[in-house]
Amino acid sequence: MKRSLAAVVGVTAAISLVLTGCGGGDDDKSASGSITLTLAGWSFATTPEFKTIADGYHAAHPDVTVQLKEYDATNYDTQMVADLAAGKGPDIYPQKSLKNFYTYQNGKQLLDVSDVAAGLGDKVGGMANYQADGKTYAIPYRQDSWVLFYNKDLFAKAGVKTPDGSWTWDDYAAAAKDLTTKFKAGGSKAVGDYEHIWQSTVQGFALAQTQGASIESGDFAYLKPYYTRAVDLQNAGAQVKFGDATTNNLTYQAQFGKQQAAMMLMGSWFIATLLKQQGNGDADKFDWGIAPAPQLTKATTGQSATPVTFGDPTGLGINAKIAKNKVAAAKAFLAYAAGADGAKSLARIGITPADTDAVKDSFFQLPGVPQDDLTKWTFTHHDTKPENPPGKYTAALQNILNDLHTAVMSGSKDIDAAIADAQTRAKNEVLNK
Amino acid sequence: MTSMPMVRRGRARLVLRNTAVGWSFLLPNFAGFAALTLVPVALLFYYAFTSWNVFGGAEWTGLDNFRQLSHDHSFRTALTNTVYYTVFHIPLTLVAALGLALLLNRKLRGVAFFRTVAFFPYITSIVALAQVWNMLFSPSYGPINQFLRAIGIAHPPGWTTSADWSMPAVIVVGTWREAGYYMLLFLAGLQTIPTQLYEAARVDGANAWQRLLAVTLPGLRPTTFFVVVMLTIGSFKVFDLILVMTNGGPGQSTLVVSQYIYQKGFVENQFGYASAISIVLFAICFVVTVVQFLINRRGSES
Repeated sequence: MKRSLAAVVGVTAAISLVLTGCGGGDDDKSASGSITLTLAGWSFATTPEFKTIADGYHAAHPDVTVQLKEYDATNYDTQMVADLAAGKGPDIYPQKSLKNFYTYQNGKQLLDVSDVAAGLGDKVGGMANYQADGKTYAIPYRQDSWVLFYNKDLFAKAGVKTPDGSWTWDDYAAAAKDLTTKFKAGGSKAVGDYEHIWQSTVQGFALAQTQGASIESGDFAYLKPYYTRAVDLQNAGAQVKFGDATTNNLTYQAQFGKQQAAMMLMGSWFIATLLKQQGNGDADKFDWGIAPAPQLTKATTGQSATPVTFGDPTGLGINAKIAKNKVAAAKAFLAYAAGADGAKSLARIGITPADTDAVKDSFFQLPGVPQDDLTKWTFTHHDTKPENPPGKYTAALQNILNDLHTAVMSGSKDIDAAIADAQTRAKNEVLNK
Repeated sequence: MTSMPMVRRGRARLVLRNTAVGWSFLLPNFAGFAALTLVPVALLFYYAFTSWNVFGGAEWTGLDNFRQLSHDHSFRTALTNTVYYTVFHIPLTLVAALGLALLLNRKLRGVAFFRTVAFFPYITSIVALAQVWNMLFSPSYGPINQFLRAIGIAHPPGWTTSADWSMPAVIVVGTWREAGYYMLLFLAGLQTIPTQLYEAARVDGANAWQRLLAVTLPGLRPTTFFVVVMLTIGSFKVFDLILVMTNGGPGQSTLVVSQYIYQKGFVENQFGYASAISIVLFAICFVVTVVQFLINRRGSES
């Protein structure tokens, strides 16, 4: 009896030690000047960019090792916020979208990197989004822009004129309907375009292209023409209905890659995915190209103008709690990733870096990349506005706008009622609470 | 008489030792409970009165969160939807579970197989369930609507893609998933009813329906009470099913309270406000359960 009591007490003590003893001291001290930086990232199996820049930097600076720390892609910000709050954040962590930049910056979780920004100059796109009170808090290393992907083979089969960079949204809708009619006549199941279920496929363009539109104004009237067109296209059968896409978990990669749709608006990250999938057989082999996103008015179409589109940059920030002796190395890493060398190594794996001009040659040497002039022009010419302009209310307002998106696209609410509802909610729940 | 103090001291030591043994058996579980549940819950009551947003300190704001909550339209929508779900989910699951239990509580070839089948949905991954049900419910190509069209309904509902039908769709899946689990509880309850009662009822000339009303249901009373309490709490905090099936949509048509807490807390980082909503949800569950206990006590006294 005595012995078993002692055993129970011993085991109990051991367990409670394990339970309470988590989180010992961290040892950043490194032997003989070599430094280890930790860099956060997501989905390493399909997102090679983190390893590419980490290895590239290590090759140039052998005394610095960059260790990768994987996070879940969907819950990246939730997990990162939890890690930072617990004081266990990585040294360098990406700003996956601009939606949560305010949370990190206002929460004092980002180190001021204005000196890195000054050293890089103005070639790096998207830098302004990371500025607050005259200081820069993150450095963009990639800047995706939304473009129009189109399947040249399907256009040729239908005998419809391919995009030429002069399209407004009306031209786009007309082409989508025209293609659908021709496919149907030819006995094909393909349709004109595929619109993915994200709110950004409608709202990103509306916000970027409409003069004076802003999320924080709480006035969402600018969304109306874009939703009217999207709903009309799905009712006409020129694109898969929202409800069918959500209930069947359609993936945009398969819709375009398996030639279910002749056109698709998507971020430039899809270039790398499509190249890879055409290589390994996940996507059909067909001729494709990219064109500028359709414009609201003729004023921004044609190659004499710069087409307006949207896309959030992906930036690298430094954890404000980083060890003092690592700061210099971390800043050098940011400068490398956003600079010309980092950009080139990213372009070689199909990523759109923040500085597109510096890499256009290496990018178009990738096997399988379309070589037509419009694709090349589109890659380097874009006025890319942020999808989530950083601000205190952005995250909360985007959630309200997502409810509007699902309500309108599923046909549960008409656009006028949905806008009125969203505006009331924005006022009561976010702006004047 | 002289041995009395000795005995008393011996007994005191025995009591002390038994207490120590008892506590040491409790401790492993209690340590985990305290670290992972008790302390966070206690903190929650503090955070509900602050504007804590994860980083930095929690600033005391008094009743501000609750004041904001009182005219938060989305919270009211979430609460209405939760009550909608609860009001239909509890009776449907109760009847389905009891029906299954009665059906499978007889000598039947392969009864173990059928019991397992009924229990299967409960142990299957909820994400997989939601995926499959979503496809079944798919408005244009789903088998459910194809069947409805085949029997002559020209415009079948849009289910999870329609604001009016998304909640019924979720309720159907919720009932289907949980009925098997509560069936097990009812099966266990049925074993406790003495067979003599049934024999006596038969002798008195009661038919099957009368035996159900006069013997089975009263005999199942403790089980039914337990099932209703568990179902009520479960329905009020329904979360995972909604999140993976509709994510609260379309619009806010299936937004429920626990999902609203998740949204405010983990998506928008308003942990103070989310804590306040959690307390309201806790209060609702608490009051409803207390009322159920009172009703049950009164019922068993009479």
